[in-house]
Amino acid sequence: MELTASQNDALTELINIGYARAASALSDLTGHRITLEVPEVAIHRITEIANKLEKMLEGEVASVNQVFSGPITGNAILLLDREAALLLNRLLTDRPDMTGFDGAAREVITEVGNIVLNACLGAFGNLLKVQVTFTVPSLQIESVEKVLRSITIHDQGLEYALIIQTSFHIRVNNVSGYLVIILGVTSLETLLAELKKWEDRELA
Amino acid sequence: MSGVEENSESNREKALLSWVQQFAPYGVLTLDPSFRIQGWNHWMETHSSLSVKEVIGKSIFAIFPEIAERGLTPPFERASNGEATVLSTTLHHHLLPLSAPKHEGGQDLMRQTARIAPLLSNGAVSGIIVVIEDVTQRERQAEALIRQHRRQEILSWILAHLLKSETPWKSMRQLFFKVAEHLDFDSFVFYLRDPETGVLTLYEAGGISLHAEKDFENYPLFTRLAQSREITHFNSIQNSVESDYSPLKNAGLASAVGVPLFANDRLLGLLCFASSSRDFIATDESDLLMTIGQYLAIAVDREKTSELLVAAKDKLANHAQDLEQMVEERTTRLQETITELEMFSYTLAHDLKAPVRGMIGFCNILLEDFEKELTPGVRRIVQRLAQTPHRMETLILNLLDFSKVSRQEVPLSRVEMQPIIENVLSMRGNEVRMAVTVNSGLHAVHGNKELLKQVIANLIDNAVKFVETASPAKISIYSEVLSENSPSTRSSPLLFSASEASPAVLTSVQTEGLNHRVRIWVEDQGIGIPAEIHQKIFGIFERGVNADLYEGTGMGLAIVARAMQRMRGTCGLESELGKGSRFWIELPSA
Repeated sequence: MELTASQNDALTELINIGYARAASALSDLTGHRITLEVPEVAIHRITEIANKLEKMLEGEVASVNQVFSGPITGNAILLLDREAALLLNRLLTDRPDMTGFDGAAREVITEVGNIVLNACLGAFGNLLKVQVTFTVPSLQIESVEKVLRSITIHDQGLEYALIIQTSFHIRVNNVSGYLVIILGVTSLETLLAELKKWEDRELA
Repeated sequence: MSGVEENSESNREKALLSWVQQFAPYGVLTLDPSFRIQGWNHWMETHSSLSVKEVIGKSIFAIFPEIAERGLTPPFERASNGEATVLSTTLHHHLLPLSAPKHEGGQDLMRQTARIAPLLSNGAVSGIIVVIEDVTQRERQAEALIRQHRRQEILSWILAHLLKSETPWKSMRQLFFKVAEHLDFDSFVFYLRDPETGVLTLYEAGGISLHAEKDFENYPLFTRLAQSREITHFNSIQNSVESDYSPLKNAGLASAVGVPLFANDRLLGLLCFASSSRDFIATDESDLLMTIGQYLAIAVDREKTSELLVAAKDKLANHAQDLEQMVEERTTRLQETITELEMFSYTLAHDLKAPVRGMIGFCNILLEDFEKELTPGVRRIVQRLAQTPHRMETLILNLLDFSKVSRQEVPLSRVEMQPIIENVLSMRGNEVRMAVTVNSGLHAVHGNKELLKQVIANLIDNAVKFVETASPAKISIYSEVLSENSPSTRSSPLLFSASEASPAVLTSVQTEGLNHRVRIWVEDQGIGIPAEIHQKIFGIFERGVNADLYEGTGMGLAIVARAMQRMRGTCGLESELGKGSRFWIELPSA
């Protein structure tokens, strides 16, 4: 399934609104100016994404996973490769000698993922004018394949994945990752329909 | 589902939540949508010292105003909109200001990871749940691990530095800076103990004003500390009333730790690190300093020992050199004395010749020109008088020979012995020629022709002279070749080796690389020489037993020995009283 150019633009803009909130929260928290960018948005069938993500993220990845429910239901995951996760952790916490995922590092990654996922899903909620509720985020350090399997195992209704490439700019460093939102067909249709309405309103 | 079932389901969930809240090792509190406290578990009561009764129904922000002050209300507000939030300890330290178990020198607020999430009821947010995890211990352990890692780095750096250093006691300043990179120390004092006097002397100090440093030069407290062998902490120095602490106080120090330096059970010095900003030094810091102290002590001990060893070696080498020089000087002086004596004897012999000739001349004038005027008695006296200068002349000539042998240049070359012996015999009377048998095929030697003539002449004259009265002399001359390591040349007790010869000359003989040596024997059947004087007879003016019976000056064998020495050869004899003598001379084969 392909997004039309206008759907793509609208989705990118919406995510940018959410990311602005996340960037502001992260900047407040760390005292450094942090920005978030969305270079690319794409939508895929869930059966295709494992291959795509494995090409981009090799080996173990840190994933922060939150289930959301309400009028739209699904699973949101922030995926960072190991090095990116450790770099992000070092940049945010001024712990230059961090080389592994100790308890504190895992929590920092979880909190950052939590902020980004909340902001993005919050933007969707605002758009849809509905309340979406979230579970507490959980962190896994596993291969992409295992992360995806643990998600799809629970819900048969999930069919599509929105893949949002995400770049963190912190001081002079860039850290890249992927935000993946997995949705059922109904949720996706609801989202795209609401997106169209929002776009029309913005243009009007 | 019927209403009753729904109700019982809901009751079961409530019971479960209540159970979890009560026993979970976490702080669990629930709020209504207006942030009023609904649930407050046992953990919260214990750690906040606030009972359920005190908090129930009150706003969390009223009980903990710090939440709002620190800008942490948004997660609660978002939770009432359905969002869940995680607050990590690294980025927030804690959510609620609860106290942590006391920790030496550490923070006294509990480190927390908090989760704030909506409580859902029929799909709608009915409240908020907050779960607080105490991660103080975990973080302390993580920090301890990092500290330990850093300390290991410091220790391996220090160890490497000390191993490389030949003067580890001079490295203290660098070691201190390395330690101070990680630990909050700003000064040090370092004492070394004089091994001879046992006095502890301030070797180096850093971070202390020169004025204050003077107080440390002779500090009885530190001397006692070093002798105690125990690591000693000085905490809250400025508040102390101990009079002993005044140098520490005057230096502006707040805390210090003193480490005596021991290696192989010997006190080598004392190391003290101090801080002017904190009143307390942690145990793990002093453990590190103790290890550094041990490393330093071992390094200092090792280098001081090797320094002593080098000094001892130098002393020994100098001594050997002095000794060598002394020997050389004495040898030179001896040589000079010998040369002077030889000059003197030559001059003496030479100058004596004229008056002796005069005496002979006048005796002859008396006997020839005044023959008739002399009574027979007087004539006998004059005749005997005329004999004396003859003997004196022989003596003088021998002395001149000896002197010549000692002084003249001795070029060495291949010499055939046969012609030499023939030449000597040709100048002797018939009687002598008849007495001597020369074996054919005498070996050629490496020597000096003129000296060899003199040697052979003296040996033959000697052999002819010392025979039983009226019995004719029988002399045989023969030669043999000895290999280099023949024991007879090395160990014969009869070997005469001129003691005047310098060791260098003897060595050069042995290293000339001539594999074989030739020994020429002159054998007689004369009166023999007793063993006890074998060595002596080669000395100047030495004569054998019954010397009075035989004419002679005691110079003959001395000349032989000196000549052999000049030719880098040796000589000796085998003899027994009454059984004849076998004299030999030995020279390199040619």
